[in-house]
Amino acid sequence: MIRQSLLFFVRNLLKDKLFSVINLTNLVTGFATFILISQFIDMELNWDIHNTHYDRIYRVQLFQDQQENIVQHSSSITAAFSRHDLVNLPEIEKIALVHDVGDNNKDGVFLSADKKNQFLIRYGYYADQSVLEIFSFHFLEGGPDKALTVPNSIVLSKDIADRLFRGEKALGRQLYAENKALLTVTGVYSDLPENSEWRPRYLIPMKSFTALTGWKDYEDNYWAYSFHTYVLLKENADPAGVDAKIHDALKDYRKEHYPYLRPLSKLHVNPYFENSMLNGYTLLSFIATLILVLSAINYINLQVANATTRMREIGIKKSVGFSKRQLWSQFVFESLFITVLAALAGMILSHLAIPAFNKLIEKDVITSVFTQPRLLVIIGSITLVTGFLSGLYPAVVIASFNPVVALKQKATSEEKNGITLKKVLVTTQFSISLFLLIVSFIVYRQTWYMAKGDLGFNSGNLLYANIITSKSGSFDPIRQRLLEHPEIQDASFSDYIPFILPGGNELIWEDALPGEKVFVRINLVSYDFVSAFNLKIITGRNFSREYPSDVEKCLVNETAVRIFRWKDPVGKHIQVNDKQVEVIGVIKDYIPFSVHNPIEPFMYRLIKDSASLNGVYAIRYLPGKEKEASAIVKEEFVQAFPDDVFEFKHIGFLIQNENALKVWIVFKKMCVFFAVISILISSVGLFGLILFFARRKMKEIGIRKVLGFSMRSLYFTMSSGFIKLLLLSVIFAWPLAYGIYKYLPGAHKYPIQIWEFLLGSAIVLMLALATISFQIVKAAKTKPVDVLKDE
Amino acid sequence: MIRTNQLTKVFRTELIETTALRQVNFEVKKGEFVAIMGPSGCGKSTLLNILGLLDDANSGLYFFDGTEVSAFNENQRTQLRKGNIGFVFQSFNLIDELSVYENVELPLVALRIQGNARRKTVDEMLDRMHIGHRKDHFPRQLSGGQQQRVAIARAVITNPKLILADEPTGNLDSTNGEQVMQLLEQLNTEGTTIVMVTHSLHHADRAHRVVNLFDGHIVTERVEKIFSPLN
Repeated sequence: MIRQSLLFFVRNLLKDKLFSVINLTNLVTGFATFILISQFIDMELNWDIHNTHYDRIYRVQLFQDQQENIVQHSSSITAAFSRHDLVNLPEIEKIALVHDVGDNNKDGVFLSADKKNQFLIRYGYYADQSVLEIFSFHFLEGGPDKALTVPNSIVLSKDIADRLFRGEKALGRQLYAENKALLTVTGVYSDLPENSEWRPRYLIPMKSFTALTGWKDYEDNYWAYSFHTYVLLKENADPAGVDAKIHDALKDYRKEHYPYLRPLSKLHVNPYFENSMLNGYTLLSFIATLILVLSAINYINLQVANATTRMREIGIKKSVGFSKRQLWSQFVFESLFITVLAALAGMILSHLAIPAFNKLIEKDVITSVFTQPRLLVIIGSITLVTGFLSGLYPAVVIASFNPVVALKQKATSEEKNGITLKKVLVTTQFSISLFLLIVSFIVYRQTWYMAKGDLGFNSGNLLYANIITSKSGSFDPIRQRLLEHPEIQDASFSDYIPFILPGGNELIWEDALPGEKVFVRINLVSYDFVSAFNLKIITGRNFSREYPSDVEKCLVNETAVRIFRWKDPVGKHIQVNDKQVEVIGVIKDYIPFSVHNPIEPFMYRLIKDSASLNGVYAIRYLPGKEKEASAIVKEEFVQAFPDDVFEFKHIGFLIQNENALKVWIVFKKMCVFFAVISILISSVGLFGLILFFARRKMKEIGIRKVLGFSMRSLYFTMSSGFIKLLLLSVIFAWPLAYGIYKYLPGAHKYPIQIWEFLLGSAIVLMLALATISFQIVKAAKTKPVDVLKDE
Repeated sequence: MIRTNQLTKVFRTELIETTALRQVNFEVKKGEFVAIMGPSGCGKSTLLNILGLLDDANSGLYFFDGTEVSAFNENQRTQLRKGNIGFVFQSFNLIDELSVYENVELPLVALRIQGNARRKTVDEMLDRMHIGHRKDHFPRQLSGGQQQRVAIARAVITNPKLILADEPTGNLDSTNGEQVMQLLEQLNTEGTTIVMVTHSLHHADRAHRVVNLFDGHIVTERVEKIFSPLN
């Protein structure tokens, strides 16, 4: 039976090669795409899995129970809490305190082996030696036991060691950090895999923290929330039990702060229970499923369409005594066979596509599906389900043909039974293509909006650099010299600039209810910050050199005014360290960090004009003069800071490197890729379907031509059905796509427009019409006599 | 062997109603060879399809081997058909994608007869039909006569009690038609009951009895040869 079916099936496939190629192309493309997306999602959901103690590693985080519109979770806690409270918990096997070297929100720190070749390197950390036992480091030089024990030492990742020492042995050699500290290399470890949430490029012992930063009593400070703490729980320890124990630990300091453990496995996709990219992955999974459904529907459509050509076979088999069940299982078997075949081909195709796909997502993390047994099992099961489900309908339709009718090869029963469901399937197919196309537009536009849209400040022609220096000179003379060049329009100095997130404090404001406090981010800025970034003052005025008392005053942003419920903000006060600071103006809201986050309340105060504050210099140049401006800026600053290392960059670099945006850029690429694939699959599917109808309508076309019908009327007759279904699909696709727009993560969304929907629909319509035209023209050009004598 | 009582078949479409069979009473005894004749559209094929359980009547009774089967459902019909009834069609109805051997094998596959037994039966049948040398060929590589021999081989491979032949010689020249008739006669001599629809008076003469259908009625019955039941 199976051998027979198989034989018959293969011969049938070979008989109508074009049809078979179409059918297989569809399924193979569908599977390959599905496999790639599954791999991507699987990789994202199994971040950090290479750590031996993966399931026992946790980061201690903080939940801040306070007003909306501000970030409520913090990934860092205080060093004192870690050093004094957490160490006493019996459930904790190992604990490590970690702190950024420099400010990783800013650009990083310059490292150099010779003070000449400087490398600006982000993601360096001070860390306890225990961090090497919690996470799995593979040492190439030195070993984990000695690596972080010696003061003024440094452990490098392979990549950094190679860059600094040009591939030579690094162990025991010395290097400079910011041309100041001299550190000895005590170890080199293999670069941590790209799918690591915490991926230090180098580590410096926590022991040296005070010596290098000048921060003395950090271990007793319950107020400085910039320390990360990673813990390794004992086997069988209950994290919920630990959470319960530490829940109230901070109530003596801030009663609304609750520390908790967050497992390493969750840190990548969902670090804080909320505001995560999880929605993005759900959307991707949805898209992956849709693409597979799309190819399965194509397969079903083509199978049912093709079934009529197999009616004689059914008739004969029925007349020689094949039962309905036997025929039924034959068709399901065929479907399973072709699906498994397609899945195998899809795996090979996806395997071949891995380099291109890795390039697309800009991460070198996807490996062959054949090396991932877990994924193979998942894909295998989905293949069988797909094969079974897509064989089911054709099997039921085909196996129930009346044998007498089947032998006469009249497809009447099929027409009657199949037509409505077939319409449903074609409409579904159109809807999915249309939906995916519009969603790709939406994601594309949103990404564009995040990267290039109006952020509320002018991000076009700005250079910036963070200079860490021990000099304490004033910026004003440098600024004056810069402005003498016509290429330079403005220059400011500030603690932070947009897209480098400042810290803040919980403040009380005038008219606040008793006990009411809000976390306000505080930025210290020079007089020219507002003008350099083209910010707008909507009420009041900017800081001015003409009013010396402005040192005691502040600016706020619109969001702060809204949260403070101020009708007339100018002249109101905010309490900072027991002092009442008067508001002199309101800055129109701009996006200070990420389009992903809501705008938080901001307060701006004048910065002391001293380079020793290690702030950020921002220079606005004449549009189109970036090269000249860079040269001028470099010259001036090298002259001003001869002993320090720094590098001016375009602010676009900072915006593009914002994490959420980076994820979105990958999303955008994937969505566009999927839209193209889905359009390809639907076009091929439609091509097959219309090919089949055209063949069946050959006689009708012949007769119509004999009777003198024009090409146009033939075209209309044959395409009107499909066009109606396409229009119907708009009803499903549009609202669903709009739903996705609503559901997109991110606080700031681009204004959606109707033309995206119209354009998407027009593209699908054009493709459908082009496919139909190709077939109809071919059919209509055939000589009527050739078709008619075919009967 | 088979007997119908007041068998009526009406084809309905939205606009018209065509009565193909009107209260037909028809009987075939075990081992008998009956020819059905009549003009186009008189209901011959419809009757044959109902006798073969490929179609059902609107009213009336149908006894197969003494069992009333007109109320049988699809499964019961399939079970009854399997191994009991063989069909021979005017247009042969061989499956183009299967070889001669595989076409003949088909009913045994439906009966789930496995391996050696199946192979042996098919080979014997092909030799008997003088078509063994063509067993790996495909239908389109055969002449019409050869194709019909394959179709007959397929019809009788399960040793059915009844063969229903719908104009088996209709698409054949006289030489090939004669060979097919000889085959049918031989099978009948060996005990198989045959009901054959034909347009050819000459071929109808080979039957024991000729039934003439007109407008859904049996109008005449003519006995060609005296048939004496074997048992």
